Amino acid sequence: MMVRPDTQLRTIIRAMTEVVLPAVDPANQMAQEQAQVVVGTLLLMAERLPLQFQFDRDELQRLTDFAEQLAGVASGGPRTSDLITRLAADARAGRDVLERAKADPAELVDTVRQLRAVAGAVVDTVFADAAAAPCRDAVWHEVLTMSRDQLLRERAWVLPQGFEQDPSSLPSLDSLLGTAAATG
Amino acid sequence: MLTAEKILPRGHDKNAPQPAWIEDLRGRYTTEREIDAILTRRLGRRAGPGYAPQSLATLRAGVEALLHDELDEPFTVLDTRWLTGGASKVQMAFTLDWVEPGVGRTRTPMVLRMEPAESIVETSRLREFQLIRAMRGVVPVPPAYWVDADGSHLPYPALIYGFAPGATRPSTATSGVSGLGINFGPALRGPLASQFVEHLAAVHTFDFSGAQLGAFDVPQAGTQSVEWGLNWWARVWEEDCGEEVPLMNLAAHWMRQNMPPADRICVVHGDYRAGNYLFTEADARITALLDWELGRLGDRHQDLAYLATPVFGHLAEDGATFLASGLLPPDELYEAYEKASGLTVDPRRLHFYKIYNAFFLAALTLGTGYRIARGGKTHQDVLVAWLIGIGSLLLDEIRMLLEKGF
Repeated sequence: MMVRPDTQLRTIIRAMTEVVLPAVDPANQMAQEQAQVVVGTLLLMAERLPLQFQFDRDELQRLTDFAEQLAGVASGGPRTSDLITRLAADARAGRDVLERAKADPAELVDTVRQLRAVAGAVVDTVFADAAAAPCRDAVWHEVLTMSRDQLLRERAWVLPQGFEQDPSSLPSLDSLLGTAAATG
Repeated sequence: MLTAEKILPRGHDKNAPQPAWIEDLRGRYTTEREIDAILTRRLGRRAGPGYAPQSLATLRAGVEALLHDELDEPFTVLDTRWLTGGASKVQMAFTLDWVEPGVGRTRTPMVLRMEPAESIVETSRLREFQLIRAMRGVVPVPPAYWVDADGSHLPYPALIYGFAPGATRPSTATSGVSGLGINFGPALRGPLASQFVEHLAAVHTFDFSGAQLGAFDVPQAGTQSVEWGLNWWARVWEEDCGEEVPLMNLAAHWMRQNMPPADRICVVHGDYRAGNYLFTEADARITALLDWELGRLGDRHQDLAYLATPVFGHLAEDGATFLASGLLPPDELYEAYEKASGLTVDPRRLHFYKIYNAFFLAALTLGTGYRIARGGKTHQDVLVAWLIGIGSLLLDEIRMLLEKGF
């Protein structure tokens, strides 16, 4: 999927610095200052966004370690004991999340792109290789089926851009990604 | 398309193309010589700097340098100002005080149309210049005056043509960026639609045999023009895409297996839609057809399919009727076209060229748009990046058309 924040941020910063900022009224100090802060914030986001996941995972790793240490050394009365029990349980939950969060987002995107490339090459081969002729109908069907599902998600992703003629015909992105419960 | 060449090794950098890769692409995708030259030139420059913002003073100096070579009499470039002109080209309006041949000293409003470092539509200024000149007197186009085909005088290749009165949309209209989905309103649709069709018929019935179109290769009858077109856009897709889309591979194979022979070769505008012509609102008159950069010699069905591309139209007030290019339902436009041109509209070729057009638009938005926005190659990176969002609609159009079949 090509509509990604890294590309968007890069172009927004360029538009702000090369087109918008030079056109902001020099006499309007608040507008000048806020425009500069907007650019600074965008630069920070562009630099840090690729590291956001690693930062959060690193933080969870260290907090889980800390929680386990804390649960091991802390003791006290019933209220303290209850909280220590809860902290130990949350640390176990943290370990579970860490176990499931081993791959970096960049690795995930790279793998998606590699699969896209090789799948595309297989399509090319099937339609160029006479020996592959018997499977062409099946390949045709698989590509169209995958594309229908994938493109539904991509169209829902960019729905706010306003290109759809009938936006109500699209399912929500949450329902398509199965994230409604998680985000709700 | 050969499979082995398309799986690029990890680490291959399309932003720094190697000569061997460029030559391989040129060998696999035979197309018109000028298009090959333009695409090869852009790959050769890709690793170079991005677009550097240009001042009006710089462009004015470039225009003056060009005119010093072109004009014998003294001249003055006046009233320079920016024009917004979509996502693909930098445009500056100015007035030229000059001695016009056959007229004498006069002041003429003009437009400089210049490429950025890389455009979302990488095309030839020479071809655009020649085609606008050829169409003068056939359909309303501005007079094309001069061309700096290789950027000898200006920072990038450019042409200069006359300033045409009018606007691309009504003063109260709503539309998306780059002229997408312009709503002309019920009162304007009828008169604009009839001219829109008549002008297209005039383009397609124009006898180009005597025209000065040296930057165009004339295809043989049959499938050569469509094959050149397919190779053009398949090459652009391979050069630019940031990630493969198996549906694009499938569509390319379907098109190569189903290339329709053209019954006649004609001038094709290539980008004939709302937003690419000017009209004066008071009399609903089309004053200029613009954006000829995608023009070529080919099959009229390319334009006919294009004007009905979903993203260029919208639903009418009833919420159900699709208005092609914001004007009329496609069938009504095609019926009027057949009457105006005396040519037939073939549904099978329309179907083919709908897929062809969606393929090339997807290559531009998802491929080139991504590549040049990442590289900072244009004056409109933010707009180009915004247009990437249309790509999924275009791909879904391809999917639906492939599923539907002829």
